[in-house]
Amino acid sequence: MLCRVNLAASGMEVFEASDGREGLDLARKERPDLVLLDVMMPGLDGWSVARELAADEQTREIPIVFLTARADPADRRLGEQLGGVGYVVKPFDPVSIGDLVEGVLVRIERGERDQLRREISSERER
Amino acid sequence: MSATESSDAADRARRLQRVAELLAEAVTPQQVLDSILTEGVKAAEARAGSIGVLGEDGKTIEILAQRGYAESAMAGWESFALDAPTPMSEVIRTGDAIFIPDVTERNRLYPSLADRGQDGHALVVVPLAVEGRVFGAMSLSFDRDIQFEPDRREMKLTLARQAAQALARSRLYAAEQTLRERMTFLAEASELLSSTLDYNHTLGQLARLSVPGLADWCTIDIVSPEGEIERLAVAHQDPEKVRWAYELQDRYPPDPDAPTGVPHVLRTGEPEFFPTLPEELLDQAIGDDEELRRIIDELGLKSTICVPLTARGRTLGAVTLIAAETHPPYTAADLELAIELARRAAVAVDNARLYREAERGANAARALAYVADGVVLLDHDGVVRHWNPATEAITGVDEEQALGCPVGEVVPAWDALTSHVPLVPPGGAARPVTVPIVLNGRERWVAVSGVKFDDGTVYALQDVTEEHALEKTRSDFVATASHELRTPLAAVYGAVRTLRRDDVELSSDDRAAFLEMIESEAMRLAKIVDQILLAGQLDADAVDIELTECDPQEVAAAVIESAAMHLPETITLDLEADSEQPIRCDENKLRQVLVNLVDNAVKYSPEGGRVELRVRRANGSCLIEVADEGLGIPADERDRIFEKFYRLDPQQTQGVGGSGLGLYICRELVERMDGSLRVESEPGKGSRFTVELPLRR
Repeated sequence: MLCRVNLAASGMEVFEASDGREGLDLARKERPDLVLLDVMMPGLDGWSVARELAADEQTREIPIVFLTARADPADRRLGEQLGGVGYVVKPFDPVSIGDLVEGVLVRIERGERDQLRREISSERER
Repeated sequence: MSATESSDAADRARRLQRVAELLAEAVTPQQVLDSILTEGVKAAEARAGSIGVLGEDGKTIEILAQRGYAESAMAGWESFALDAPTPMSEVIRTGDAIFIPDVTERNRLYPSLADRGQDGHALVVVPLAVEGRVFGAMSLSFDRDIQFEPDRREMKLTLARQAAQALARSRLYAAEQTLRERMTFLAEASELLSSTLDYNHTLGQLARLSVPGLADWCTIDIVSPEGEIERLAVAHQDPEKVRWAYELQDRYPPDPDAPTGVPHVLRTGEPEFFPTLPEELLDQAIGDDEELRRIIDELGLKSTICVPLTARGRTLGAVTLIAAETHPPYTAADLELAIELARRAAVAVDNARLYREAERGANAARALAYVADGVVLLDHDGVVRHWNPATEAITGVDEEQALGCPVGEVVPAWDALTSHVPLVPPGGAARPVTVPIVLNGRERWVAVSGVKFDDGTVYALQDVTEEHALEKTRSDFVATASHELRTPLAAVYGAVRTLRRDDVELSSDDRAAFLEMIESEAMRLAKIVDQILLAGQLDADAVDIELTECDPQEVAAAVIESAAMHLPETITLDLEADSEQPIRCDENKLRQVLVNLVDNAVKYSPEGGRVELRVRRANGSCLIEVADEGLGIPADERDRIFEKFYRLDPQQTQGVGGSGLGLYICRELVERMDGSLRVESEPGKGSRFTVELPLRR
């Protein structure tokens, strides 16, 4: 909801799901430009959702930005391995989430997707 | 022969007979001397007589006794050389008697005596010999000039033979007596020395045993392990004087470089013997100290023996014997006795020390055998020289396999284990390094420290696997708790940031939802913090439990009612109560436990299902069960879920949050209410937690 309100304020169209299963279905149906994915969710967790999206031809290319409370290097590496292009550690400022999403999309457009991925594990925790 | 002469001869024979009877009765040398010099001199019709014997050195003659001579006449003649030009020296040298009729003849024969005793007359000196060996002589002085006729001469020679035999016999007897006394003393001393290993005590007793038989004063000094001279014992018959001697010792501590006395004997390991204490020696020791001079004079020191206590080539101390107010000056025989005494005492001290060292060694071995830490001694080549049982337990390698072998062969992982361990010198601060290592097929964490000394390296090993696991749990908890705090914190922070945006118009529904989010997430934060604090209080045993009567149904109903207010739609919540019996518990704590169990049941039922709370009576207790149809708990984790900080799913990927403290807190609280908390579960089918509490008594 935090993200929805703030992303909408940046002029983006936002689809919101309350758990992993619902999110996966929504992504398959709507094919969004980007998925903001919470890792800790009831039922299907964020890592599993990312795996399923990557395994699916139709959703493989959708960029994923992980939102998580876990800042361990091991978790960051997992995010990188699962094809994430961003890794946001809670708590974060939702007001700037729109800028972050836009920035990621611009860089992907520029062909910097792999670089974004590598930045996930090289970034230090705040 | 005239009648007078024959009557004289008979008279002489009677007198000789009388002397012989007296001498037969005399036992000690003094009695013999007394008899000769009274009755013997009288029998010989002499005015005075004296008896001299050859000294131990065979070079001097000592006058043992005299009678009839003026003190002034004897002055300077207490002892004189065997080769001196005197009648007695000559008689002892030659074994032939000398008969001098008058002073003129005496002065002619012995010109050096010309200036002495000019009023004298006839003089006879006869040898004292036994079995042809001359050991002394007897002189007889007469009050007139006499030409000694053969029968008169023979009478003097007979008297001398009688005297010689009696004196030799009594001296032998006295020597035997002394020897027996010494043997007895040595036997007593030996018995004393072997009676105990406490040589401090024993040597004290030995000193007391030596007084007064062997000495007026006996002191024993010992060289301490630090090389200092310690006075172990001072003995004197008068305890007051002993106290005074100790005071003196404090006031005048021994100079380790002193040229004589105990320090000298300790340095050289040789006995020191002063038959007569030389004046100049005392003067040297006293110096200008008038007080000390007064003390020394008062002591009346005559003669001293100081012998080293020597065993196995080392000087352990010294025994000093002092003859002062009563004891006669020491002789060579006394020195021999002192040496023998010191030898025995030294052996006893040495034995006691060896025993102590052996005992210390045995104690050290015992300590090493039972100490919980592994202790390994390696020589310079890395060969195992000591391998204690704790090391066996940690490494799984027996002492027998390890001793004498290079450690790398015994424990292949040894290098990995010790390569990062800093080796410190003896007395250095050995810091243990904790290293993970696979030993005997198990992963262990071992804290290793090492000390390098002259003969090798000693390592201490401590198996800290359990501590390490606990530490890991703790650090996991910190990570877990911080993660868990981040989520509600993110929601609160995010909601506030969003609400404060002035570039966005929020709908009133969104605004209300954000406020509600702030409220509920703040409460979640508070709850996590509460649990951390409560766990801390439980650890410190600082939680107050008030056991009162309460109705378990009432508590259960309240818990259900509150849980129902924010229940996911997929969950159904039921209460089944068939016991109205009151129980004895802390109502607030029971509510806390049940809220937690119901929360867990809901949380671990992500796919929904039925959560049931049931209150019933069984076996005189009240059972409160919380059952769900959720994820269940794998069998191998069922016991561990009650451990502090333990989480079924530490990665929290299932989205089930918590501090890892809930069940730990529940069990601790229930047990403090004299109850128990247990779980049954089947993975995939659900779990049942049972709180058992005592009924009211």
